[in-house]
Order: sequence, then C-alpha cells, then structure tokens
Amino acid sequence: MSEKKQPNRRELLKTVGIGTGLVALGAQGGAALRSLVPNVSYDAPTTVKLGLPSEYPEGLKYLPDERLFVFREGRIFHAISAVCTHLGCTVRAEALSNPETKEVGGKTTRLTHRFLCPCHGSRYSGDGTNVAGPAPRPLSWYELSIAPDDGQLVVDLARPVERDFRLTVA
Amino acid sequence: MTKPLETAPGVRPRRLWSIRPRSDRESGDAVASNFALHWFPARSYRRSLDWSYSFWLGTVSAALFLLLILSGLPLMFLHIPSVERAYLSVKDIEYVVTFGSWIRAVHRLSAHLMVAVVFLHLVRVFLTGAYKNAHGRAQRREWNWVIGVAMLVITLFLSFTGYLLPWDQLAFWAVTVGTNIAASIPAIGPAVRELLIGGRNIDQPTLLRFYVLHIVFLPGLLGVLFAYHMWRVRKDGGLARADRLALAATKVEQPPSPTKTYSLLGIARGTGPTVRATTLVAPDELVNSVPDLVRRIAIVVLGTIASLSVLAVFVRSPLEEPANPLVTPNPAKAPWYFLWLQEIVTDTTFHIGSLTVNGAFLGGVLLPGALLVLLTLWPWLDRSPGGAAGRWFPRDRRFQNAVFLLFVLAVLLLTLIGTFCRGPYWHFYWPWESWPQVPSRI
Repeated sequence: MSEKKQPNRRELLKTVGIGTGLVALGAQGGAALRSLVPNVSYDAPTTVKLGLPSEYPEGLKYLPDERLFVFREGRIFHAISAVCTHLGCTVRAEALSNPETKEVGGKTTRLTHRFLCPCHGSRYSGDGTNVAGPAPRPLSWYELSIAPDDGQLVVDLARPVERDFRLTVA
Repeated sequence: MTKPLETAPGVRPRRLWSIRPRSDRESGDAVASNFALHWFPARSYRRSLDWSYSFWLGTVSAALFLLLILSGLPLMFLHIPSVERAYLSVKDIEYVVTFGSWIRAVHRLSAHLMVAVVFLHLVRVFLTGAYKNAHGRAQRREWNWVIGVAMLVITLFLSFTGYLLPWDQLAFWAVTVGTNIAASIPAIGPAVRELLIGGRNIDQPTLLRFYVLHIVFLPGLLGVLFAYHMWRVRKDGGLARADRLALAATKVEQPPSPTKTYSLLGIARGTGPTVRATTLVAPDELVNSVPDLVRRIAIVVLGTIASLSVLAVFVRSPLEEPANPLVTPNPAKAPWYFLWLQEIVTDTTFHIGSLTVNGAFLGGVLLPGALLVLLTLWPWLDRSPGGAAGRWFPRDRRFQNAVFLLFVLAVLLLTLIGTFCRGPYWHFYWPWESWPQVPSRI
C-alpha cells in the first residue's frame, strides 16, 4: 500500500526532467526579455549649461535642444518646460497682446505669453497652468543656477521645482 | 488517350493538378496531392462561396499580407535602420532606386488597406454571427474569433512599427504620442515605455526595436496565427453558413454506387469498397473545390495584387522633413487608423476635485482596452440561438448588431473628424474652412 503512494524512480525522473526543461525554457524567455531593458542610459545629461545670463533678452527665450522656456525680468530668471504634460509634444509660445502681471508662487510676475500644444490642443497660461484641453498637470518648472566656474546659467532638467522658485543674478 | 492510367488499380494518375478535372476523383486528387491546396476540403458548400455572403474579405486580407511580404523583401535590402541614414535611405528608395517609389507605394497602400479590410472582415463576421457554433459538433468557432481579434491588433502594431521606419517628422511624433500613451499607465507605464523604446528618448534603440518587430517578430506571429486561423476554419466545418446545411439536413440512405468509393481521396485504390453512404446534403449543394473554390481564390488574390499594382502607380507615398525632436509639427496627427484614439485622448481628461485623470490613460489605454476585452469575450456573451449564425441581419441578433454598428459608426465618425476637421493646435475646422497661418517654428 505504502509503496503505491511513493513515487517510483521513473515518475520522479519524469517530473524532474519535465520540470528542468520548463525552468530552462522560462529562464531563456526571461533572459531574452531582461536583456532588452537598458542598464546604461546614453541619453543627454540632464544638467545643461545654457550660456551667460547677460545673453538672455528681457522676456522669453526658447531653447529647442532642452525644450525649455527661460524667462528674464531684469535680474530675475525662471525656467518652464516646453514638454506638454499630456503626451509629451513640444508646446509653442504665443505672445499675448496684453501682457498681464500676476502673483505666481507669491511673487509678482509679468506673464507675456501663453502656451499651446499642437498635438491635442492643450492650453497653458503664462505661468504654465493648464487652462484647457486634455493636459492633466501644469508645465514643470525647473531649477536654474549659476555655474561656479564660468558663470553660465545651468538648468537641471531632472529637478522640477515649486513655482516660487526664482534665480536672482547679481 | 490518357484513360488507361486511371483504370489500372494502384496506379496514380500522372496528372497531379488541373484547373479542369475530368472527374470527381481527379478533382479530389488535385486537392490532396497539391501542397498549396492540401489545407482545403475536397468539396465545398456552394453557398459559402457566394461573393455576397463573405465578400471574401479574409482572402483579400491574406492576399494583402502576401503582397506586403513580397514588397517588403526588396525594401529590406534598401532600408538602413539607423537614425543617421534611415531617412536618406527612404529618400533614395523614393527618388533614386529604379521602381523604388512604386514598391514603396505598394507596401504602404497594402498596409493601409489591410487595416481597413481586416477591420471590415471582423465587422462581417460579427454581423453574420460567424463566431457561433450552430451544431456544436467539434466546433470551437469562438476561439477562432479570439485569434481573429488578436490578428487585428497585430495588424495595427505592424502598421504602427512600420510608420517609424522612414524616420521623418510624421514618424517621430506619431511614435512620441503612441509610446507616451503606454507611459500613462499607472505604476508600470514608464517601465513599459522604456522597454518599448529602449531608453528614455526616442533614438537609435527605438528605431532598431521597431525595425525588428516590424520585419521579423510581428509578421512571424501573424503568419503562425493565420495558419491556425485557417486550420480552425477547416476543423469547424467551413464558413458558418455551411452549418445551416448540417442543421437542416436529414439523413438520406444513398444506394451503393460503383463510382463512389474511398479511392476518391486516395484512401483506397480501385472500385473495391464502395461507400455505404448516408449523405447529409443534397449533392447539388456541394461543389468540387477544384475548380470552384480555387478559381475564386485565384480571382481574389490575383485581382487584389493587380488592383494594388495599378493603384500604386498613381498614389505617391509621402515623406515629410527628417525627424526633428526639437520641433513638433502643427497639427501633429497620428496615422488615420489611430485618429479615433487621438480624438478620444483629447477629450477624456477630467478633474474631480483635486483628482485628475489623464486622458492618455483613460482614452488611450482603459477605454480601448475595455472595448478590446468586450470584443474578445463577445462570443460567450452572445446568447442568440445557433440558427442565427451564418446569415446577414438575422432577427434574433438585430439588437446586438445595431449596437455593434453604432460603435463602428462612432469609431468611423471620430476617425473622419480627426482626419478632416482638425487643424493647428487641434482646433476644429470644417473641411472647407481654411486654416489660419501659424508659424511652423517658434
């Protein structure tokens, strides 16, 4: 009776054999998939030098390589992303006929433009707030700083900041 | 003079295949001994072959797939999947290579048409309830429907991956939008996108991935599913229309006939064991597959290839500016078969208090996903009687056919709006309205 319940040698070998084959097959599939997940990013660095602050005009300058709008009001700088928060198209800036002055992040800011997305028609006001269309969030603001070595403006595209962020250049 | 060959027992007729068989036996042999035809039945139900029942849409799809492989092979020798050279190689195909623009036009038009025809095939199968098992004897038609839905999705992915290969503006931004839809899935989205495009930005790894998917993985998968699809049709007893024959038939004892033998399909030789047959059908409902079925298939396949060959002479394939990650075209439109989705992702972002649901996830993933699941499971949800299978607009399925057609119309309407009524910044314009001038660059 007890002999019947114990798996005999053939059954054990069969189970082990089939199991080994299936595990090997799974490992092949898993390895193939995993090999496609990149371990190294060759993307452009996220911290980029943007030139000397003195080269920036009053108002808005668009930097296509970084997909970034840099705003200057005298000695005060801030930067807003041009990447639409809906599906990642590049929004376009449109100059307002009547620029307005508003409190943004507790600081008085002159808004000269609004932003429109060509892909699905999202609209953003001059401070990046989504006002119409499918965009779910405002445009990101990014941290600006001054490079200690040559005094160039530096943006960190991996570090979004709050809207009260301003860089004041001495 | 060839007569003696057939009469000698154990001797096969010399003639392997003929479009004009002289006997039922020769007709049966023409199927059984021919590799290209061995997957067809020796005899076919006459009314299954009607042009007006199936419109032969499945055969047209298969013919287009064949044409895509034929036109894709020379393109593979000419296209270079590198971000520096892909655009220039496609430009060469279009303007330098002899017959290049024609081959590219054939490939592009076949791809567009295949999306449309495969979709129409699905509509036909739904409306005629052809996924239903009318008599249920060894039938698994619902699984063939599932295979068919999978093949539609693969056809769409094939078109989408092929879209990127020219590496022009259209390609680049269509793929930007498409992969960002995948990224909008909560939690796993960004990882899915990274796996799809091989990094965080659309670049060389993306082109190579889409290239390999387009030329090997997806066509191979489609080929395997196609073979299974056809095998399943055979196992399920032909088209759903043939089921009505089996349902209506009464068994009739046939008198033993000296000409009706098992040798018909080469099972036995000579006139020895006669078939004691109870036939289910009136003999005049069945026709020999050679020539009746084969002739129609030849007309459809060769006709499709001929029509496209002519059409491709007159329709040029567009090639926009080289891909420029810095400038989004205005408006940036997806390929036409995805425009209904682009319409939906535009309209489905909503806010409840502080909670925001991104239209990309709701309209780009959840809604089409739910539609796809519903479509796949429909054979199990359809409770209409088996007798409703294999006919157009049966009374029992009137309601579900109407609802289905409403969905089809909605998709068509959204596609038309996206194609003809969307201008710069995705604003609505009637087709006869002119678009305002917007600067192409900022």
